[in-house]
Amino acid sequence: MTFELDRRRMLQALGLGAASVPLIGDVPSAFAAGDTVTIGWPSDVPSWDPNQRFQPDAQPIFKLVFDQPADQDPKLTLIPKLLTKWELAPDALSMAVDVRDDVSFHNGDKMTADDVRYTFFERIKAGHKVDTANSWRKVSDIEVQSPTRAVMKFNAPNPTAPVWLAFLGSFVVPKKYMESTGVDGFVQKPVGTGPYKLVEYQLNSRIVLERNDAYWGPKPKIRRVIFEIIKDPSARVAAIQSGQVDLTINVPVREVDRLGHEPTLAGELNPITRVVLLQCRNDLGFADDNVRLAAHHAIDKQALSKAFYGGAAVPLSVPATPGTPGFVPDFKFTYDPKLAVQLLAKSGFDTSKPAQIKFATTNGQFPSDFDIARAIQQMWKKVGIDAEIETIEYAKYFELNRGAKLPEATLYSWDNATGDPEMFSGYLLNPKLPFSAWKGPEVGDKVVELFSVPDYNKRVAAYRDVAKFAVDKGATIPLLQSVQSLVRKKALTYVKYGNGWVLADTMSWT
Amino acid sequence: MNAILLLIVRRALISVVILFFVAALLFCVLRLLPVDPAAMSLPPMATLAEIEAKRREMGLDLPLPEQFLIWLGQVVHGDLGTSIHFRRSVVSLVASTLPATVELAVIAMAIATALGLGGGLLLFHARGTAAEPAIDFGSIVLLSIPEFLWALFFILLFGVALGVLPFTGRLSPEFQLPTVTGFLLPDALLTGRLDVFWDALKHMILPAFALGIAFSPTIMRVLRSSLLDVYHEDYITQARLRGVSERGVLLRHGLKNAVLPTLSLMGVQFGILFGGTLLVEVIYSYPGLGNLMVDAVRNADLPIIQAVGLTYCIVVLIINTVVDALYLVLNPKLRIA
Repeated sequence: MTFELDRRRMLQALGLGAASVPLIGDVPSAFAAGDTVTIGWPSDVPSWDPNQRFQPDAQPIFKLVFDQPADQDPKLTLIPKLLTKWELAPDALSMAVDVRDDVSFHNGDKMTADDVRYTFFERIKAGHKVDTANSWRKVSDIEVQSPTRAVMKFNAPNPTAPVWLAFLGSFVVPKKYMESTGVDGFVQKPVGTGPYKLVEYQLNSRIVLERNDAYWGPKPKIRRVIFEIIKDPSARVAAIQSGQVDLTINVPVREVDRLGHEPTLAGELNPITRVVLLQCRNDLGFADDNVRLAAHHAIDKQALSKAFYGGAAVPLSVPATPGTPGFVPDFKFTYDPKLAVQLLAKSGFDTSKPAQIKFATTNGQFPSDFDIARAIQQMWKKVGIDAEIETIEYAKYFELNRGAKLPEATLYSWDNATGDPEMFSGYLLNPKLPFSAWKGPEVGDKVVELFSVPDYNKRVAAYRDVAKFAVDKGATIPLLQSVQSLVRKKALTYVKYGNGWVLADTMSWT
Repeated sequence: MNAILLLIVRRALISVVILFFVAALLFCVLRLLPVDPAAMSLPPMATLAEIEAKRREMGLDLPLPEQFLIWLGQVVHGDLGTSIHFRRSVVSLVASTLPATVELAVIAMAIATALGLGGGLLLFHARGTAAEPAIDFGSIVLLSIPEFLWALFFILLFGVALGVLPFTGRLSPEFQLPTVTGFLLPDALLTGRLDVFWDALKHMILPAFALGIAFSPTIMRVLRSSLLDVYHEDYITQARLRGVSERGVLLRHGLKNAVLPTLSLMGVQFGILFGGTLLVEVIYSYPGLGNLMVDAVRNADLPIIQAVGLTYCIVVLIINTVVDALYLVLNPKLRIA
């Protein structure tokens, strides 16, 4: 087709165009309003290869286009998805899995055990740069016995393998298609088995998904889902208030209350499986047990919740959230500033001669992080701990920790969509992992042992004991169960998940 | 014409040297940051041995000058590395986001120029009148409000309160991005999609005004000062004595001479305005280079920071060359010199 640009014709057309299109769009659309939902989302996907990067915020988007071998229900119980069954061997060295036989990828290819093997073994061995290479590093082979049956073999006990089937990055990708397109081709035109297909993607701006009418599972009610990537919280507030989006998350807590009073909007603060805690070192100014325990007793968690989360964040005594297996309901670590003063006095500190520590925090990584740090600093000052606050980038946490450069205490937010205690106490207190600032063996050795315990009940019970022990030792200072702030149009309903997943395939208009 | 060509050639040669030094500076500064690109490019659970292997693979164990030369060699061949966060070619990321930013910056500059020249003339016209202090005060207020505040204010006013303009992205979801040049407005026209053109323009109005309005007061004030200076020159008096009207004096003699320093300023302003797109793009979810850079800084994605830094430098060099060429066109004395 040729197109000749004639100045007069163009100006005439421009004038006509401008006159005929009103300022805000009644542009013809193939979708009726009830068929579409627009979501204001705070971050983009890092890549359309779902195995590539572990980014918790991207999971609810990936879950629409791709499927995982297993899934979680709203109460976080593990349920079948692409696998109908999995059976972890008693020694946790292998896991037999049964694959559904009625699933097709968006391009029509049938999904089989070969795709499972490709996703969790072959592409890792082929050297693809995927984060799943780390989570599934213990996989020594996947023996495909039939298109619907395979056995995953591990080179070391892997008790949390079933949990990882539904966790970060574990999405089945199509072997045949990816081998033909290569990874670069795949990320340009991704193909999954999920309830939606990707129809448009603009980096850092918009994702448009269309319902996969051939989906093997329950059909979503919404035909088209649009994610507007709006990184600025104020802009997300404006977008939901102006009606440019139908639902948004991670808006400032005070705005949830205000917007919730709008006649067409509903504001929610939902407690999720995210803990806000202080990661502690076992040396420097925190070498003394009394100082660490005093630091914990001096913090009024209820006051923090009220001041920064409208009282919706639940104060925690262990690094696990209520309702998850590792939570210990009958264990309470008291707020007792007098006891804090006594503990500090035993070590020769008081308000005139305070214990000196450094205290790291992020600023803007999670709601009110810097303000929470400042409030804690004031609480500590009253009992005789002088903390100097330093701001760090969240992305640098691991590196600083690896280099033993974190200060005595670090305010930290930890997401665990699975709710499994290994991903709470295990990761947060295992000195061999970069998440734990605590390197002391008295807690660390107990935790490391639990990574190989195959029996689920024994493992969970042991994690509860370790969590209590670690808190009593001052190895960690759990603060609050964090909340997810969400504002939506009242007419839009969705299913709440305990881990904060907001899934468009559960949404509908009333 | 020859003078302009000579200028462009000379500038191109100097630009190569400047680019080399900027690249070296960027490279060294980023390597001095307490960030390990090897560790950042692996998942948190990676072992120290894996990080060490990655470091070797990325050549980070080599001496800094050697690392720089390897990187420079790759840059010369059009390879700016792979993004740590996106794990994609940096060149493709920059190429896909640059047109949006250039388009936004050019329109914002046009707005800043229109407002700046108009305001400057108004300020000059009101000199010595009762309105002068009020207009002067207005320009100072405009000058003191940064672009991101304008961005938020416009969203609240035109997006939320009045609800007349969209404020997320480049285009409504109803439309597919036409991809001919990557520049949305020309692409819409080239593909004959006036509806897309209009929609894109609506999406561009608020961010472009937020950027443009923040940069207009400087142009206003410099133009006013230049006009005041020019009006003290003998040729203005002589023009009046020749019976030229005040309007003629202003347009044919005053403005023509006063606009030269303003033009130089606009060249500098464009560089700053281009940098100002960072926050504005984030606020308006505008998928440009600024948005990419903010992500890169947050994720310590050094290859992107490096590439975007170089891109900014190239844009500024091009703009300065264009401004100097315009200067030559408008000022015959320089051509003779």
